[in-house]
Amino acid sequence: MFSLLNKHDINEMQAEKPAFFLDLNIDQIIDKISEDWVEDIRELYYALPTDQETEDYRRAIFAEVKKEGILPVLMEFLELMRQRTACMERKEKVEDAAQKHVWHIREAAYYVEALEMLKDKLGEISFQSEGMMGLMEFLAQCVSDAEYCAFKEEVFKLRDELAGFRMLLTYEKDRFTVSEGTGKGTYEDFLSECFPGRNKMFKSPFLSTPDISDLEREAIRVFKKGHKDFFNGAERFYKKHKKYAKEEVLLLQKEMAYYAAYLKFMLKMQENGFEFCTPAVSGDRLSATGLYDLALALASLESGRKVVPNDVDLWPEESFFVVTGPNQGGKTTFARSLGQLVYFTKMGLDIPARAALVPYYKKILTHFSVEESVETGRGKLMDELMRLRPMMGDEQAGEFVVINELFTTAANYDACIMGKKVLEYFIDKNCKGIYVTHLNELSKACPSVVSLRAAVDENLVPTYIIQRSEAGELAGANRQVEKYGLTYRQIKERFL
Amino acid sequence: MNVNLLYAHNDWTSAKPYFDWYGMVKDLGLDTLFDAAKQDAVVRNSKVIYTEHEDPFLAQAMKKVMCVPLNKKEEVLYRQEILKDCIRHEDFAGKLYVLASKVLADWEKLGRKKSHTGVRDTKAELITDIQVLRLLVSGMSEVKTLLLENLDGLSSRGFLTLYARINQEFSQDVQENLEKILNDLSFYADTSVREVKRNVFISNRPRLQIDCGLADGLKFGDMKLESIETSVKAYTNPYGIRAKLQGRINGMLPNYISLYKNTSLQEDAANLEYQAVSYVMSCCSGVLSSFGYFFDQLHFQIGFYLGAINIKHLMKRYLLDYCFPEVGERDSLHYEELKEVVMSMAQGGKTVGNTGNLDGKMLAIITGANQGGKSTFLRSVGIAQVMMQCGLMVAAKRFCSGLYPNFFTHFTRREDSAMNSGRLDEELRRMDQIISNLGKDSLIVLNESFATTTEKEGSAIAYDVIKALKEENIKILTVTHLLSFAQKMYDETDDVEKSDIAFLSAEHLEDGTRTFKMIPHEPELTSFGLELFEKIIENHER
Repeated sequence: MFSLLNKHDINEMQAEKPAFFLDLNIDQIIDKISEDWVEDIRELYYALPTDQETEDYRRAIFAEVKKEGILPVLMEFLELMRQRTACMERKEKVEDAAQKHVWHIREAAYYVEALEMLKDKLGEISFQSEGMMGLMEFLAQCVSDAEYCAFKEEVFKLRDELAGFRMLLTYEKDRFTVSEGTGKGTYEDFLSECFPGRNKMFKSPFLSTPDISDLEREAIRVFKKGHKDFFNGAERFYKKHKKYAKEEVLLLQKEMAYYAAYLKFMLKMQENGFEFCTPAVSGDRLSATGLYDLALALASLESGRKVVPNDVDLWPEESFFVVTGPNQGGKTTFARSLGQLVYFTKMGLDIPARAALVPYYKKILTHFSVEESVETGRGKLMDELMRLRPMMGDEQAGEFVVINELFTTAANYDACIMGKKVLEYFIDKNCKGIYVTHLNELSKACPSVVSLRAAVDENLVPTYIIQRSEAGELAGANRQVEKYGLTYRQIKERFL
Repeated sequence: MNVNLLYAHNDWTSAKPYFDWYGMVKDLGLDTLFDAAKQDAVVRNSKVIYTEHEDPFLAQAMKKVMCVPLNKKEEVLYRQEILKDCIRHEDFAGKLYVLASKVLADWEKLGRKKSHTGVRDTKAELITDIQVLRLLVSGMSEVKTLLLENLDGLSSRGFLTLYARINQEFSQDVQENLEKILNDLSFYADTSVREVKRNVFISNRPRLQIDCGLADGLKFGDMKLESIETSVKAYTNPYGIRAKLQGRINGMLPNYISLYKNTSLQEDAANLEYQAVSYVMSCCSGVLSSFGYFFDQLHFQIGFYLGAINIKHLMKRYLLDYCFPEVGERDSLHYEELKEVVMSMAQGGKTVGNTGNLDGKMLAIITGANQGGKSTFLRSVGIAQVMMQCGLMVAAKRFCSGLYPNFFTHFTRREDSAMNSGRLDEELRRMDQIISNLGKDSLIVLNESFATTTEKEGSAIAYDVIKALKEENIKILTVTHLLSFAQKMYDETDDVEKSDIAFLSAEHLEDGTRTFKMIPHEPELTSFGLELFEKIIENHER
């Protein structure tokens, strides 16, 4: 079955939120993307591709989705399909048979319109990616099918016939009269003459509920007598084409949101001055410029706080960053932004940075200390070790590891030894990653470790810039008239 | 629809109030004027007749209008013209006010305010809307008639254009159309059964025709109102034999849907009826809000002039001369028998008037004896300025001044007990705020400013502040006890006559009698406070 997300057929998508989502604040980002979307699409971002080929497959698709004019087409398709779903829901809700048949016609019409529109509008563009070419091939095949063509003709015929019906209702306190034809618009004309430029429309009071009112049912009963052919035709159509939608199309509707929603979100962030780029995935060197924490950037839209981007470089022979520095200096944020970089790269999407070179990592592992809790020191240490154990299984290799403040409750000496062991373990398994700690000693734990420090300015105020550096210890009336700006000189200056 | 009795073109809401209006009201004692505005004193045959009725709305209107200064001479003249019309035709002004009040009161009774709180009854609200429209349409027609009847005697542009505007926006055609709509909808607002003869009853019955298509799910869609009307028909008891018979017949005819004894269909019909009426009324909503706004504004604006008439009556009662002030050049200020109207009213009219000419002076420094009438004089100028700037008459035989929309008062507020900052601090803070808000055409009236510190310090501050502001072309009137400051200013002035600084002093005769008049005079070194102290305290001790 054709899929925009998976290059190879896979049986089941993982629907569990990955463990690292919370640690890296990725759940905040995904929640926001989903919040700005009509449907809940969070699960689409839960499953990570299991092989490098799928990552590349998605990246190539996203690159083409980003092209000028593509997103509006996808949005239009999704909107039509959404309308279709709405019709379907109504169809299932109503009990009246004739009403059900008519809803079915609307629903089928949306389906056909969506497919035709997508085929026509995307057909004008030439695609290079395997995924998009696959999509075009699928669409071409879909709409040229003879069965489909007959179905399409039938749907449109019924739809147009229905739209052409009009009747004249006359109400006289104790009765209604239903007659064929249209009125002359006399009162509407009179109102337009009295109130030039009026913009009010006469709306049916019954449109607020999907159910048919008694009056409408009665009116239809009278009306039906003159239009038996149409109503019989609608019933036949309903029975014949109960299941007309292709499974691939429904999957397409779902998977397309993955790209469209992320792109919409990305464009909004770009409007606010945040940069994105497509990472180059190759080699062993991890390098990025203008890297920032996307969740923090998102929060900054409301708080207005400044987001400081960082540059980062991990050469092939180097293994781990060990970040030290003052509290509230941006260490954890930096670690998160690196984790996000790896995550979005793996998802085949653009990443929050100006430019990046990213190696292929098999998985993402994170371990963040739980915020200072009321637990006893021993309990917390136990807890940390328990969470660490599954991460340090035997099969790990080639992963990206983000560790934040391990062993904060252990004695300094013990913590150093344990921390060193953890680092050595991952390095030994050929993993790369980042380790945020308050223990300066760890920055010299192994030769392949790179020491980074959160910088401060001359007043010891954090600059949120993380740079390569040795870990080290930190050092440590006016007159009333003037206050109100009322001296001769001050007043004169105020008039300048 | 605009009333435009306060401004020829401007929208009332675009005008800018005085900075620190509440401070000005306090400093100048303007509350007395507002009280005078609401007192319904009427002069008939040169006699003051007090009616007991007080209308607090008039005081509010006076206050609201007064706090927003006019910016141009043209605007002042516009209001003066209207006020003169009102004074000449008090009856007409009164009637117009009563008419507007009555329409608004009736509207209130119909539930103008209630509609937005509590449980909403949409049908009742719709009926209210129809009744309100009927009320406003007949009100508009009355206003039109009243204006027409008095048109000959009116000469102000305000009233003449008002009449022209009503004639245009509420023309015969508009009136007829609205009346037709009200008639068409009368089945909805008026459901009563009337007995025309013995045992002959009639009621209003609707007839609606709707052109509609079929929307999704076979529901009514794309509706158009073909006709809506009310016909007066013989009343039929819905439970009677005739209704039953008619219902049977309706049910049998192929194209008919009978509503007889079918509550669900009756509900749907009521729903459709409501929708149609509410649609027509929604088309009228612009007219409704426009007329509603008109009456609110008319009530308010004519209320201001009625308040002015009341003030005039009170001035007359206290034998105060009044005149319509002249708007002069920026640096002009001359006055004849100018009186402090607030104090005059409080003291029963026995106050001294000042006559003087300060044309060409941008700074007036007033010094002199305590209890000599300095502050009274300062206030009399301030009050006259405020009254002139809202189009009122002033208590003087003649008054001419420039317009100062940026008018500030800086009075020592003795009653202010500053808990956090000292009194000087409070004064300086206010001065700072004033300077921050100065603009083109600014006037500051200072009364014993910077007296809350030592004479030396206060003088230094006053000298700095006033000199700097004067150099920036800000007009200043100041009453001061800071003699070193006044003396220094005087010494620096070469030719007092020709300079743009005036030095005034409270007149006292050889024998020490105070006349309460301000005369040009060199700043005096002896403060009469000591004398006063001697007279009141030491003599008393003896």
